[in-house]
Amino acid sequence: MEADSTHLRLSVLAVVCVSLVAALLARLWFLQILDTQEYEVASEENRLRVIHEEGPRGRILDRNGKVIVENRSSIVVGIDKSAHEELDESTRNELYENLASDLTELGEPVKEEEIEQALVDDQHGPLELVPVAEDVDEEVELFLAERADEYPSVVVERRTVRNYPYGDVAAHLLGYVGEVNEDELRARQDGDKPYLLGDEIGKAGVEATYEDELRGVPGSRTIEVSATEEYLGEVMEERVEPAPGADVWLTIDIDIQYFAERALDEMMEERREAIQAVGGTFPVPQGSVVIIDPRNGDVMAMASSPDYDPASLVSGISSDLWEQLNDEAAGQPFVNWAIQGMWAPGSTFKLFTAHAALESGFITTETPYNDIGYYEVPGCSGEQCKFTNANEAPAGTVDTEQSLTVSSDSFYYWIGDNFWRQTDLYGETPIQDSAELFGLGQPTGIDIPGEAAGRIPTPERREQAHQENPDAFPTDEWYSGDNIITAIGQGDVLVTPLQLANAYATFANGGTRYQPRVLSKITQPLTLAGDPADPENYEVVSEAAPVEVAEVPISDDVYDEILAGLQGVTTSSLGTAYAAAQDFPPAWPVAGKTGTAEVAGKADTSVFVGFGPSLPLAEPQYVIASIIPESGFGAEVSAPVVMRIFEAISNGQVPAARTLESQATLTEEDSDSESPYGSSDTISGPVYGNDYGGTD
Amino acid sequence: MSILPPPTRPKGSVRWDHAAAWRHIDAVLLAAVAALVGFGSLMIYSATRHNDDPTFFIRRHALFLVLGAVVMVVCAVIDYRKLRDWIPMVYGGITILLLAVLTPLGTEVNGTQGWFQIGSIQLQPSELAKVIVIIALATYLSHAEQPLDLRQLAAALLILGVPMGLIMLQPDIGTVLVFSVIGLGMLLIGGVRLRHLVILILIGVTGVAVLLHSDVLEDYQVARLTSFINPEEAESGQVYNIEQSQIAISTGGVGGHGFGEGPQTRGGFVPEQQTDFIFTVVGEELGFVGGATLILLFAVVIWRTWRAAQLARDRVGVLICVGVLSMFVFQMFQSIGMSMGIMPVTGIPLPFISYGGSALLANCAAMGLVLNVHMRRFS
Repeated sequence: MEADSTHLRLSVLAVVCVSLVAALLARLWFLQILDTQEYEVASEENRLRVIHEEGPRGRILDRNGKVIVENRSSIVVGIDKSAHEELDESTRNELYENLASDLTELGEPVKEEEIEQALVDDQHGPLELVPVAEDVDEEVELFLAERADEYPSVVVERRTVRNYPYGDVAAHLLGYVGEVNEDELRARQDGDKPYLLGDEIGKAGVEATYEDELRGVPGSRTIEVSATEEYLGEVMEERVEPAPGADVWLTIDIDIQYFAERALDEMMEERREAIQAVGGTFPVPQGSVVIIDPRNGDVMAMASSPDYDPASLVSGISSDLWEQLNDEAAGQPFVNWAIQGMWAPGSTFKLFTAHAALESGFITTETPYNDIGYYEVPGCSGEQCKFTNANEAPAGTVDTEQSLTVSSDSFYYWIGDNFWRQTDLYGETPIQDSAELFGLGQPTGIDIPGEAAGRIPTPERREQAHQENPDAFPTDEWYSGDNIITAIGQGDVLVTPLQLANAYATFANGGTRYQPRVLSKITQPLTLAGDPADPENYEVVSEAAPVEVAEVPISDDVYDEILAGLQGVTTSSLGTAYAAAQDFPPAWPVAGKTGTAEVAGKADTSVFVGFGPSLPLAEPQYVIASIIPESGFGAEVSAPVVMRIFEAISNGQVPAARTLESQATLTEEDSDSESPYGSSDTISGPVYGNDYGGTD
Repeated sequence: MSILPPPTRPKGSVRWDHAAAWRHIDAVLLAAVAALVGFGSLMIYSATRHNDDPTFFIRRHALFLVLGAVVMVVCAVIDYRKLRDWIPMVYGGITILLLAVLTPLGTEVNGTQGWFQIGSIQLQPSELAKVIVIIALATYLSHAEQPLDLRQLAAALLILGVPMGLIMLQPDIGTVLVFSVIGLGMLLIGGVRLRHLVILILIGVTGVAVLLHSDVLEDYQVARLTSFINPEEAESGQVYNIEQSQIAISTGGVGGHGFGEGPQTRGGFVPEQQTDFIFTVVGEELGFVGGATLILLFAVVIWRTWRAAQLARDRVGVLICVGVLSMFVFQMFQSIGMSMGIMPVTGIPLPFISYGGSALLANCAAMGLVLNVHMRRFS
């Protein structure tokens, strides 16, 4: 009995033992055989870290292969925020003090408060490096590396940043890069060049348009780490080498661009010092010049002033800098006025009105008109019945050619009034239709983001605008006065400098409207070491072909008549830009048109657009348009800027653009020679006054 | 019990008598223990070879293996029936040691005041106490009336309770649990009335509940124990060990990553991987094949120990084997089960596999006792 009980109880024990062993085996089976997949992923997340490496971004070259944007490495001294947070108060304060004084001593002036402020600023995420000094010398790097224990949480990092050999030249056009934001990240999630937060992305200009091409192919290294994040080794089979992005060649000629920018800036500077006829000075808040090849739409230069130094944006834009770049008092340097600025074109619009009048058959090339200094609307009883020439002087009997050369306003008032009287014959909007055919009132489609559409007013649009916003547009009626001032490019007409250049390019080539573009070709570098412009070092990915957007019907006699009038502007002694052409005589004839647009309460907008060579058997190769607001007459400001550029181009005297490096050398060698043109031909001398034949 | 005729043996020679006992040694158990020891040594090496000193642990382990072999031989050679003469003294001695370890003479490791630091070697008296309590309890219960009356039950509980209470003061909840299971197994076979057993279990469960709500245990100990029950509510830190351990074991798959190749082991993701979580290394590096082999080796040891209990000539032998069996089964199940997430996290070493000198010596002694009982089943 007793033994049996013991045996029974031992059996119970045996059953318990067997069950427990079975339970362990079952659990082991479940974990290792059935459920492996799920845990496999967890294990890799645990111990593998993928380090994302951006490939070098592609370079930007001008049409001749000069490098305009490249990459360079920059040494940044920063503070690791997470490590810094573990320091106690006194260590921190000591760190700020020592770091500030040591960096300042090493030639990198930094203030204690600046360091503290940067760390408090929300601009940097918790895991980011907060930069204290950028672009420091290697000496500083060495100094800090040797004293790592004295500077807890201070990190010296080498970063690749964009480098601009020509400084601020073409800054607006090139755009800039910045850290990818979450919206951009989402939009580009599935591309072949994936992004991670913190990666660079083009934010504006060419950098944005050709982001997909410029971006390097990211690589990755997979490393294995221990539980304490110690590096154990790299998983070599997972390694993906980063590859460089494609180089983008622009249609821009950096020499012409550089020359145009300086010509514009010098003129603007000069105009700010000039005295207005009515007293006071010209504010000249902005200015821009656009140069297009009318044979294909290539943009050869696009200058917008004021500009900014893109190098100041390479490590992010502080809120101070942002404010500065968008400061209206400073002319909003961040805006690319060449494509985003809209102004009334003034008399340069007369080309389109003349085209409408001649092609519609309202007048012929021979139709004379007697300009008596003003135009009085027949049978008028409204508020304004008399429209005066801008210079209030009669031009006498003019035909279309002369009307353009001397810029007769009355001739165009007469056309505008009569078109409105005979809508049954010519439709409601013959002038506007013509302007739109030449590409005004709509974006040109240039491959740079942010282009403005301009505005061509019509009766229909006026009504619509009134309905949408009755306060800003108090009337929905279109009067003959509207038609009259529209005919001379005033009123509600607004164009961008690029639109104006492209419209004249369309005329210059006989009626083919191209989509203006800045891309010439895209090449994939075969090596990053050599000259990117050497054909040995790249293969062409794609070459941009001209894009024809529209064909404007221009009869031969109409073309000849208008061309003769535009040529007269610079070649006839009666021409509005004759003086400018005399001061800067081009090697071949230039046809062009001045414009002086009146803006209520402000000084006039100075406009000039011209093209050349304007020879019987030659095709025009350059169209240059300039719009400079609040600066005075077209003939006084924009015409000399444009003619100056024509003079240099036509004579083959455009000096090579100077890199920052060569400018620095130059300053050392000869501090007198500040002008980029060399010593002899700085724009100076004639001040164009009112006595230049007509206001325009 | 046995219907075999007593084996014939030559008369007269004492030496021959001894040799006769050795002839009945359980070679299967010995082989299984040897295999476990070999297995354990490899795993300790694998788990610690990425440390700064890759052979530090394995060198010490080897030292304790030699000591352990001596202890096992000693425990096997001395007739277990003579142990009753020594046991009161030894029991008194261990009680004094358990008291002493609570004084500044002892050393605290991971919040448990349970070690003596002697030179570079740490000794854990609670490990040795397990074996001593098994012998003491077996000796007492073998002379008790069956079934046990209350007085005898109280005496047995006192023998068990004194060292348990002292260990609770360290506190070392894992070892206390081992003692509870040893007591449970030995009382069951030792003839406790079933209703007493049920009451005892109820008291035990209540005791644990009270313990969890008292201040005796540190918060982290309570959290670890309960995180097993409510993994969702537990803080990530407490779940971390179990999670990492299960991930490691799971990725081992059928064949494992290979000896020394376990990525989680190499990266040190599982804490205490050479001691409490050593089965993780086995699972990750040797896979299901290795893990199952290890569990089956334990099954062999358990089976042979159970068989020794079954065959034992007297009640002391039966009870010693049952005590060792209970200790082994529970430690194996708790340690392996914990690393696979089916038991709470509490530090109990896996016998013969985990690194730990005192535990190895205690386990060797326990195995020596089982061999002792087994080979003297006829004498």
